[in-house]
Amino acid sequence: MSVTPQSLKTLSRAWEPMSYGFLDASAKREMRRKMIKAVAVPGCQMPYASREVPMARGWGTGGLQVSLTLIRPNMRIKVIDQGADDSVNAASIRHFLARVSGAPTTLDTLQADLIQSRHRIPEEKLNEDQILVLQVPNPEPLRPVQPNMSVARQMHADADYGRMWLQLYEQIVRSGRVMQGASYPSMVNGRHVMTPSPIPRWDVPKLNMAQHLTILSAGREKRIFAVPPYTRVEPLVFDDVPYKVEEHHDLTCSRSGAKGFFMNEIPQEDGSSAYELSDSGFGVKHIQQGIGDAVTLGKTWYENGEMVE
Amino acid sequence: MAYVATRGGEQAIEQAERLFRAEMGEITPERVAEIKTALPYLIDRVMGEASLYDEDLAALALAQAGGDLYEAVLLLRAWRTTQPRLHVARPIDQGTLFTHRRISAAFKDIPGGQVLGPTLDYSHRIIATDVLEGARYIPAPVTPAATPAPAHQPSVAAWQAENDLVEMPGFDETAPEDIPDVTREPVLFPATRAHRLQSLARADTGATLALGYAAMRGYGQAHPTVNELRLCEAEIIVTHPKGTAFSAGRVKVSQAEVVSKKGDTLELGFAATLGWNEVKCISAATLDLNSKGAPKGSPTEEEFYLYHTEGVESSGFCIHFKLPHYVTFQSSLDAMRSAKKTSKTAEKTSTSKEPAQ
Amino acid sequence: MRTAPTPSREETRANATFEALIWSMSRPGRLRDLPERGEAQIIEALIDRECHVFCADPLLMPKVLETGARIAALAGADHVFLGMLTDLDGLKSLSTGSDLYPDGGASVVIRARLGEGSRLRLTGPGIETEECIHIGGVPEGFWSLRRDLIQYPMGFDVFFIDGARVLGLPRSTKVEML
Repeated sequence: MSVTPQSLKTLSRAWEPMSYGFLDASAKREMRRKMIKAVAVPGCQMPYASREVPMARGWGTGGLQVSLTLIRPNMRIKVIDQGADDSVNAASIRHFLARVSGAPTTLDTLQADLIQSRHRIPEEKLNEDQILVLQVPNPEPLRPVQPNMSVARQMHADADYGRMWLQLYEQIVRSGRVMQGASYPSMVNGRHVMTPSPIPRWDVPKLNMAQHLTILSAGREKRIFAVPPYTRVEPLVFDDVPYKVEEHHDLTCSRSGAKGFFMNEIPQEDGSSAYELSDSGFGVKHIQQGIGDAVTLGKTWYENGEMVE
Repeated sequence: MAYVATRGGEQAIEQAERLFRAEMGEITPERVAEIKTALPYLIDRVMGEASLYDEDLAALALAQAGGDLYEAVLLLRAWRTTQPRLHVARPIDQGTLFTHRRISAAFKDIPGGQVLGPTLDYSHRIIATDVLEGARYIPAPVTPAATPAPAHQPSVAAWQAENDLVEMPGFDETAPEDIPDVTREPVLFPATRAHRLQSLARADTGATLALGYAAMRGYGQAHPTVNELRLCEAEIIVTHPKGTAFSAGRVKVSQAEVVSKKGDTLELGFAATLGWNEVKCISAATLDLNSKGAPKGSPTEEEFYLYHTEGVESSGFCIHFKLPHYVTFQSSLDAMRSAKKTSKTAEKTSTSKEPAQ
Repeated sequence: MRTAPTPSREETRANATFEALIWSMSRPGRLRDLPERGEAQIIEALIDRECHVFCADPLLMPKVLETGARIAALAGADHVFLGMLTDLDGLKSLSTGSDLYPDGGASVVIRARLGEGSRLRLTGPGIETEECIHIGGVPEGFWSLRRDLIQYPMGFDVFFIDGARVLGLPRSTKVEML
């Protein structure tokens, strides 16, 4: 059996100012190995050797490492934060991704091969060939009931979600409804409770039996998990207290006129509120359509303010 | 909400960075060299927390970050993580450390002697204000000792172990290349000893002190005695693939052994880091000493202190709260309003106007 | 650094290989093309010195050794290259992870004949309703052994390769022999 003998040269590599996509081959392989595991056990948090990247922890370093691993020169990238392409950190991440990969960027959900997002899922439906990467600050849905990671991990192993249910039940008793805002805990493939990341409740049903692959990555906490296409994602609810998304069904965007999507509330000086589409790319397309530009609006998950089953 | 706005965001962040950098002016090789010579203890601290031993890069990182330690450490870590791992150096035996300073609080004298070495411990902390008025601060020359202290010293714990006083950790047979590496794999709990010591070695000095201090004040079971504190240089011996062993250079390291009485024996806590950083080593060794059997959620529990002393993660998470959170806020607002509406309908008592947020 | 770096040939191949792997693991039962034929590209994309590898194919071994990975017995391997599977005896010791860390379950690469042989019905995550496929070249009893070894979420995940085609089979997929 012939083996290439190792020398310092074979162990090292030719000098380059920066690896393609910033991450070196070994960091990418770690991401690849763990992404495969994450997809194989939907919703289960897989530990990974999260590398330091040129951005602060908590600023999307987990999502960034996934994007940097998947990126190639002809992969079209969209980056949003709170639904907006123009948010400064989205701009920063998009700029970094393009700078280290040469990949083209887009603001149009329909044009994107890969979407890295913090706290939102676009309103237009993603298709089979698109990948959604969600940035995750806290990967552990059990943390409010169990801050200790080791104990929480045991609870996942035992599928022991009793305290999670109890917490929701107590909220109903106390406030008449489930008070969970974003990050609504959801059962994946009938086995693992995961946090969908701090997306609003509005967005959680979009993950259920979706056509696209979603990868959720927490760089600081070093956990990665995934929702493959056509996977059940069910918010934890009681039979007699249905899941409630934010009451945005009847709100109209003051800038684009679009109605029935998730909105940002803009406080007004007279004490009232105005609303604008949270999905900024979608909003721009509505405005363009309004002035007669040729734009393609994709199919949306919600129609007339209601989730399409 | 337009293309222009997106470019606006990019311009804004670009200009914000320029504003930050404009304050500090040009970064020259001279500036970097001056930082390196003038601030060796800061360089050491940064190298330790970055787990990257390179004084020039550390000085450059400090210059580039304007002295913001968290930023400097992040710069170095982000660079370090892209570098290939060429080799695992040979384990270093305590007796081979080139020792500059080595003291023990446990004994009046120790084999090899108390070696004070360089320290400010007994200096009077009076700031030399006359420098600001034009005077020069020229350090007085050092008078060499009549008999120089030996460069190589045995470990105090080794003597205690011979005298059956201390429980030494069992010899670890793991081959160097099989030692778990905290930069290549996530820490899982219970952590391997290698992971624990590596994490402490790169922990944030301030955070390690805070939790170590909590343990010292009584939030831990064991009160530390500094068995041995050492500032030294270690020879990095690597083996060429062809088989020749050679020195790749020396690095400054510091280490602390602390002990505590447990029954009729002493328990040992240990920590070491790149660079000279006594406060961190003593604090980290105290945490190591207190780990065993620490209650869950206490500052001396391994999971608690390893997570919370990781400076790049904690500082990053702290500043991430500056990022917009209006979607999550909107989601909570919706739940609050709807709950209020429900309770109002139920009680029909309150007529007060709902606040905007 | 003003201009973006360009990917090397190796980087491009590893990237495309992984894209095929993650796509097929996300869509069990659906065939996808790899950039090239054989396992070598998978080794390049996934394996390095952090891995413990079991390799049953002596011809692949040099490729594995080049990566710096440690060679392990089947039970201790996180990545397993079985080549053409001839018997199932050894397979029982395949690592399936633990209930605390299901990620410890092995990633397994098996050469098979895709599109012929046993007809299987697959259901589970990644499959909208069901996928019916033919997989040949694996010994009789493989499917029942797989069922016995997987105690979800513990289990192992397979890439079947046939030339330049790959088919992913995560532990979450339920397989019925038709």
